[in-house]
Amino acid sequence: MSKSFDAKEKTTIDRRNMLKALVGGCATASLTGCLVREQEPGAKGWVPQQYDAPSNWPPQVRGRVPIDPENPSIVRDDRKCVLCGQCIEVCKKIQTIYGSYALPVKDDFICIHCGQCTLWCPTGAIAEADDRTRVLQALKDPTKVVIVQTAPSTRVGLGEEFGMPAGSWVEGKQVAALRRLGFSRVFDTNFTADLTIMEEGSELIERLTGKSEAPLPQLTSCCPGWVKFVEYYYPEWMPNLSTAKSPQQMLGAVLKTYYAKKTGIDPRTIFSVSVMPCTAKKFESARPEFNAAGRYWKNDGLRDIDAVLTVRELALLMKEAGLDFASLPEESYDSLLGEGSGAALIFGSTGGVMEAAVRTAYHAVTGQKAPALAFDLAPVRGLSGVKEASLDVPGHGKVCVAVAHGLHNARTLLDRVKAGTARYDFIEVMSCPGGCIGGGGMPRSSVPPADDVRRSRIRSLQVKDAAGTLRESHENQEIKELYRSFLGRPLSHLSHELLHTDYVSRAKHLKVDPKALEEILAGQVTEASRP
Amino acid sequence: MNNSGILQFDTTWGGWRLRMTPFRAVLAGMAGLFVLLAAFRLLTGLGASTNLSDQWPWGLWIGVDLTAVALAGAGYSMCVMSHVLHIDDFHGISRRGMLISLLGYVFVLLTLILEIGRWDNAYTPFLSWGHASPLFEVVIAVSIYMAIQVVEFSEVATEKIFHSANRYVQLLLPAAFIIGAILPFGHQASLGAIYLLMKGRLHPLWWSDMLPWFFLATSFYAGPAMVVLEAIGSAKCFGQEVEMRILTRLARIAAAIMGVYFVAKLLDLARLGQLQGLGAGSFEVPMFLGEMVICTALPAALAFSPWGKTKKGLFIFSLLSIAGVVLNRVNVVFTGMYRAIGSGYSPSLVEWGITLGLLAAVILAYLFVVENFNIFNRQH
Amino acid sequence: MNGSNAVLVDLTQCVGCGSCTVACKLWNGKPYDKGAPATGLHPVADHSNWTTLTQRKAEKDGAPAWRFVKAQCMHCEEPACVSSCMSKAMRKTEQGPVVYRPDLCAGCRYCMMACPFEVPKYEWGKVIPSVSKCQMCSTRLAHGRSPACTDACPTGALRFGRRQELLGIAHDKLKTGRYVNKVYGEREAGGTSWLYISDIPFGQLGFKANVTSESLPAIAEHYMRKTPALLLGGAALFMGLSKLIQRKKAVAAAEEGKREQ
Repeated sequence: MSKSFDAKEKTTIDRRNMLKALVGGCATASLTGCLVREQEPGAKGWVPQQYDAPSNWPPQVRGRVPIDPENPSIVRDDRKCVLCGQCIEVCKKIQTIYGSYALPVKDDFICIHCGQCTLWCPTGAIAEADDRTRVLQALKDPTKVVIVQTAPSTRVGLGEEFGMPAGSWVEGKQVAALRRLGFSRVFDTNFTADLTIMEEGSELIERLTGKSEAPLPQLTSCCPGWVKFVEYYYPEWMPNLSTAKSPQQMLGAVLKTYYAKKTGIDPRTIFSVSVMPCTAKKFESARPEFNAAGRYWKNDGLRDIDAVLTVRELALLMKEAGLDFASLPEESYDSLLGEGSGAALIFGSTGGVMEAAVRTAYHAVTGQKAPALAFDLAPVRGLSGVKEASLDVPGHGKVCVAVAHGLHNARTLLDRVKAGTARYDFIEVMSCPGGCIGGGGMPRSSVPPADDVRRSRIRSLQVKDAAGTLRESHENQEIKELYRSFLGRPLSHLSHELLHTDYVSRAKHLKVDPKALEEILAGQVTEASRP
Repeated sequence: MNNSGILQFDTTWGGWRLRMTPFRAVLAGMAGLFVLLAAFRLLTGLGASTNLSDQWPWGLWIGVDLTAVALAGAGYSMCVMSHVLHIDDFHGISRRGMLISLLGYVFVLLTLILEIGRWDNAYTPFLSWGHASPLFEVVIAVSIYMAIQVVEFSEVATEKIFHSANRYVQLLLPAAFIIGAILPFGHQASLGAIYLLMKGRLHPLWWSDMLPWFFLATSFYAGPAMVVLEAIGSAKCFGQEVEMRILTRLARIAAAIMGVYFVAKLLDLARLGQLQGLGAGSFEVPMFLGEMVICTALPAALAFSPWGKTKKGLFIFSLLSIAGVVLNRVNVVFTGMYRAIGSGYSPSLVEWGITLGLLAAVILAYLFVVENFNIFNRQH
Repeated sequence: MNGSNAVLVDLTQCVGCGSCTVACKLWNGKPYDKGAPATGLHPVADHSNWTTLTQRKAEKDGAPAWRFVKAQCMHCEEPACVSSCMSKAMRKTEQGPVVYRPDLCAGCRYCMMACPFEVPKYEWGKVIPSVSKCQMCSTRLAHGRSPACTDACPTGALRFGRRQELLGIAHDKLKTGRYVNKVYGEREAGGTSWLYISDIPFGQLGFKANVTSESLPAIAEHYMRKTPALLLGGAALFMGLSKLIQRKKAVAAAEEGKREQ
């Protein structure tokens, strides 16, 4: 930081000082020039050191990413911004969004809402759009039944907000905390992660076996940042995206239909909250098409998800409520939508969806339990940017899968497939490095986020998966009950109504700059766009 | 006739006459309010006391100042007529013009002190000359002119107090009259020149590169009009009759200038190609026509009609033409800027209070002076 | 002053990040006010927002096109504010910036009225207020640096340099045909140190269209130059006239007296 030049003592006279001066009989001081008069206004502050050179000297780090004031996921407080350029670093180099589009802009602030910038921002200037007030209002409203779901990775992150080591397992405490905050039911997004596997796995089998005309490779669709990324940059790949909704949206839809019916709760009184490791989930929940319950009950105002909280927001709610995290008991999720398998749990880490899908798809195709390999699918575990694996499925043949996390890696993978240098049947992509455990809504445990934190969180999920007995989505008893008593079977008509969606091309909102993108992907990140 | 009481007395004390009437008591109350509000303004700042904003940085006080300087033109136009052109008829009434002018400038000066944001820096134009600024010329010329006016008034004052100084004042007078006659030409015109920089912002019905000359002309005839009004008013209040012949002559001189101004303004609009702007249905047009037709052409014609020889006619003449000058300044400061600046401004209560309170104080001062100094009758 | 410094704003290159507004506040130590944002659809230019960035939802070729317009003091080549100031509190420096000296300001606010771009703002909340406007980081320029806003711009939408050079660059860019054929600021108010090029007509982006291309100070100075001579001449004329008439009258009186005798 450099201090301003010629900073003169500030002698602005405010009302109070003015009165003081009068009382003290010093009013003439200014007239006689006794006060040091301000010679040059402004120039009282500082700017980061990289800006202390003529602007035509190209620095490595400069400025910040644009953020739409109406962005539903992230907001920026200019008062805290120091123009360190870290948001550009992550948005451009890790996510390949900033700088990938040609200028002039069209009619959008290109953003996939991943929220990585909220983690990289060293001053906390960029943060999630705060939905705590809306949730607190609902909690206070006696006419509302406020029901919450928690994503797989929240339980290995929340503890960090209370001083615990990265990856600490706090599932039971999280449930207890939510109950104490006043949520009337606490459900597990793991439940619908299992449901996602049932639907998405079935869809994959249909594609693999040619029952469906939808193309291969099938792309996962549970990451809303990734989905928006495809809609922006790869609209031609939209048919490859699984039509299955994300676990969050599935739970929202099932909650206000199946659960409401089963328990006799008026769906209009349900306020559905989700606790997510993710800022893009705020955007996802606001997508206009996500009112399946509304369509089911023919009530347009009914949203599947009413509010999304990040793990950080939940932690703040708990701190504000004065909950002593350490002394909270371990409690369990409520039933009907509360059971989750180990397969669902590892959704939170990169490669997890793939591993979970393999376990269930193998069973669906062969009727047998998947081999031990599928319960520790090493090739798709770990933090390599692009991972691939192949598996012989008796009765079908070799199934090739690939996994990418971070959108720079996703581009590399997709471009490889596009170029024909690789062929896959199923591709899992998570926007955030490490998967959801590295999501933009997770605690800021290191700035910028570090791989050791990500590894600790992943390990925690994998250890719990390995230690559990229920490790396959299709073995989830509550899922079985849901199909038996409500949905019928995967990909049924009602499943399609409630659990599947379609996508909208956003290509018209931007013009990709192939040259700039090439440079970003090649890692030559310079100020390429400077004229 | 020495009614006692706080609201009504008429007393002489050590050669000074002090009169209080209920009307004057109200004025005194307003003047007291002015003092309080002025203190409030100085202690709290412009933002707290006025409705001025970044959009409307100039408001009531500037409008009042521009108008008051123009109306205080009585001083120099009477000075020119009686001391330069030696029109003997006007010798007897030139002191009235001088007093109106002096009080007008005191009013302007006090308003300006409250109007400028950094009154502690009020001296800076004298040290750091912004010689390219019309406002600089106004400030310097007004300051010198104030000094001249003090000299001119000293002649009157030393007839009553400090008699021995009268001799020296008389020595200064010829120079004072010449400077006092010429200097206001400069700053009256410069007040118009202030708005030269507002080209593109001030409505073309008012903006012209001739604006300084128009300001000069309007202030020049505003003076006689003010004197006529004052003469008729003081005749009623103090029984100080002025010969109708003199007033008619004065009014007709003013009316002649008004006629020239009216024609010149129309020719200027034609020159700048703005005549068709009069056909537009915008709110500026009626304001302009009100100013030019009802308050300039009409009173000018009135002065030359037989009505110009009657007291009533002259009274209406003076009221209308003064209204015309006021309207002109209001139009330049507000009406003509409205389109460029937008969003409305209306003066705050403090702004009104200070302006009206100060006006009341000035009227009280006028009454005191005419009752104690030889203003009306210049018989040696 | 073609050798003076200037900034070329290429509106097609702005992504609306607002770094310029933050750099301005950081460097100049200006406070933030929630009620007066510096960016967005309706930013407020005031005494602490020396630069604003307005999001404009315009249209281009029938399709919506968003543009972001940075606004600050234009630093006119011949500034009306400088010529309006009665105490030289506004000055155009050799290096290009039009700077304000609070210690000389008497607070008449004529500069605010005279500015064709309505740039100078006032510290209305203060007892002893100052005018407030962008200084083009004159102290940075004096140290061989560029304005903080141009330094922080990540896309190169703001380009700092010599005015003449930047005009050349601007006109070269216009030749590509991707821009509206105009450099805003080349002639406005007699030329400004901030220059803009755009692919959407400036009027649609909120630029003032009716700014005169004349130098405003020239209009006033044309008048001002005449006044001293006119006043002196007028004084002489009046003096002569006064003496002449007095003499005539004296002669007439004398003749009258003779005749009476």
